Amino acid sequence: MITRRDLILHVIIGFFAVLTLVPFLFTLNNAWRTNAEMFRSFFGLPESLTQMVEAKRAQWAGVDAQFEVETDEGEVITVGAAEACGYLWRTATRGFRRSWVELRRYMINTFVTCGITACGVVFIGSMTAYILSRYRFFGSKTLFYYIIAVMMFPGVLTLVPSFLLVKNLGLLNTYLAMILPYIAGGQVFAIFVFKGFFDGLPEDLFESARIDGAGHIQLYLNIILPLSKPILSVVTIMNVLSTWNNFLWPFIVNTDRKYDVVASGLYVLATSAFANSYSTLFSAYMLSAIPLLVLFTYATRPFIQGVTSGAFKA
Amino acid sequence: MNDGTPPAAPKARHTGWDELVSNHRLRFTLSCYLFLIVPVSLLTLFIYLPVLWAFWGSLYEFEIGGENRFVGVQNYAEFLFRDPTTLISFGNMLFLTLFAVCVRLTIPLLMAKLIFSLTRERARYFYRIVFLVPIVVPGVAVQLIWAGMIYADRGMLNELLRSVGLEEYVMGWLSDPHTALLAVACVGFPFVGGFEVLIYYAGLTGIPESVTEAALLEGCTGVRKFFAIDVPMVLSQLKLILILTIIGGVQAFENIMILTRGGPGFKTMVPGFWMYLNAFSFQRMGYACAIGVTLFVIIFTLTLINFRYFRSTEELEGR
Repeated sequence: MITRRDLILHVIIGFFAVLTLVPFLFTLNNAWRTNAEMFRSFFGLPESLTQMVEAKRAQWAGVDAQFEVETDEGEVITVGAAEACGYLWRTATRGFRRSWVELRRYMINTFVTCGITACGVVFIGSMTAYILSRYRFFGSKTLFYYIIAVMMFPGVLTLVPSFLLVKNLGLLNTYLAMILPYIAGGQVFAIFVFKGFFDGLPEDLFESARIDGAGHIQLYLNIILPLSKPILSVVTIMNVLSTWNNFLWPFIVNTDRKYDVVASGLYVLATSAFANSYSTLFSAYMLSAIPLLVLFTYATRPFIQGVTSGAFKA
Repeated sequence: MNDGTPPAAPKARHTGWDELVSNHRLRFTLSCYLFLIVPVSLLTLFIYLPVLWAFWGSLYEFEIGGENRFVGVQNYAEFLFRDPTTLISFGNMLFLTLFAVCVRLTIPLLMAKLIFSLTRERARYFYRIVFLVPIVVPGVAVQLIWAGMIYADRGMLNELLRSVGLEEYVMGWLSDPHTALLAVACVGFPFVGGFEVLIYYAGLTGIPESVTEAALLEGCTGVRKFFAIDVPMVLSQLKLILILTIIGGVQAFENIMILTRGGPGFKTMVPGFWMYLNAFSFQRMGYACAIGVTLFVIIFTLTLINFRYFRSTEELEGR
């Protein structure tokens, strides 16, 4: 039973939700439509898909209808209902097929960079945090502050010199030009979050394992890792998200455009090759959302828990 | 950021020099250092070296492959006093940042409050997911969607105006000098898609039951409760979003690069993009470094002020 108060709330929140999603819904809709269609009427449904429904209906009803369809080469031919479906589907998905050809390359580059970066950040970050959190040794405090102090420096300060550094190291146009700086920057947040979490683990646990003769590696593998699964997934997701969204750095360090990731690739596509084909561009935007959509269908809960757990409080 | 429990137990009895001299402690310390070599050297090479480089480079005039010429503070003097774009770009930055602060501190908080007020947990969870959906689309794509689909000549906004007969308002939103800056600021309308709602929501869930009950007993409900109870109780979150928005606002230029490239004229130029152009289009690396350092100083000062004067919930409670 929904109360009147809840109903009003639903209406207001729903209104905002629709407003938020509208740009994406129209992008999705227009990804199936040709430029001409879009210029005729912006808000219509994809003609080739509506025609396809008609063709299917004609096919099932057994009516002998003729359809005017366009081939990939741009010829207009008249065919029967059964054949028309294939052509119409090809017309509707033309944007997706054309953008995928380019996007596939970017996807692979993104997976490589994101994957290696996330693994590196989580591994190095948790290891370092473990050492700094569980042991006090000569210089341990100083080292911790040395690492944390990095948070002070905004990206805008280091952008130009980082480029010069990468250039002088001869790393331009390699995966390493992205991965190494990403790990260097991303580990700091990871160490900070991990250390906060590890500090809260009871010392007895480690003490008893140490009495049994466990070294750093065993402690890390058998105690730290199993206990910190939730926080691990939070850090992983946050890291993937920031790597995924970074467009400027890959754009700058890939001067010959071979190792572009999805983010920088979309910018390149939008400003050059596909600038005039809306359906191609829009389908590229929509395809680029799929990997994170998949990630989030599996990881929403740990993500929400992570944001909610207080790791993000000033 | 983290207010977790303090370290659980004393970890070692010796610190400092006398532990170095003990052979066992020495081996232990070295083994710890062994694990820290990789992260610390990565940091030193890829963060601290560029930071030093930025300060050092800002005192020189140099191009890639060209010769270095020491010019002292000339780069700063030029940027702060002689460059005609400086004033306008700082004005734009100020406007965009203030605009972002205003909308990000209010609308997502209201939305979080509305969602939090729903009776059924399932509905609350559903809406939290809905407002999270936009973050699966890469930020670049969002900007490109707004540029290419909403603000374009035949875009959603203009077509909407045409369809309701308001043709006189149809314009190139990003290319018209009068609307460009506002159009840039309004990308992402209504500003509720993303983390903020979640973070505020987390803050609202953290309000103790006793406080809510006390408010109810005192007859404090509705709008008054929102301002008297909820807002003070989520100050930590507000502070966090404030800091992040300011830091982001001062250095943001990717959106400008994608939407307008600073145009029309210099109507939407921001210091960050001017730095980018100087470095990668005009090859004035030293000058770009000087702009970067200036922005860093601004961010640093603002963050300090923020920490000093904007109190969080814990401090209000006297914890």
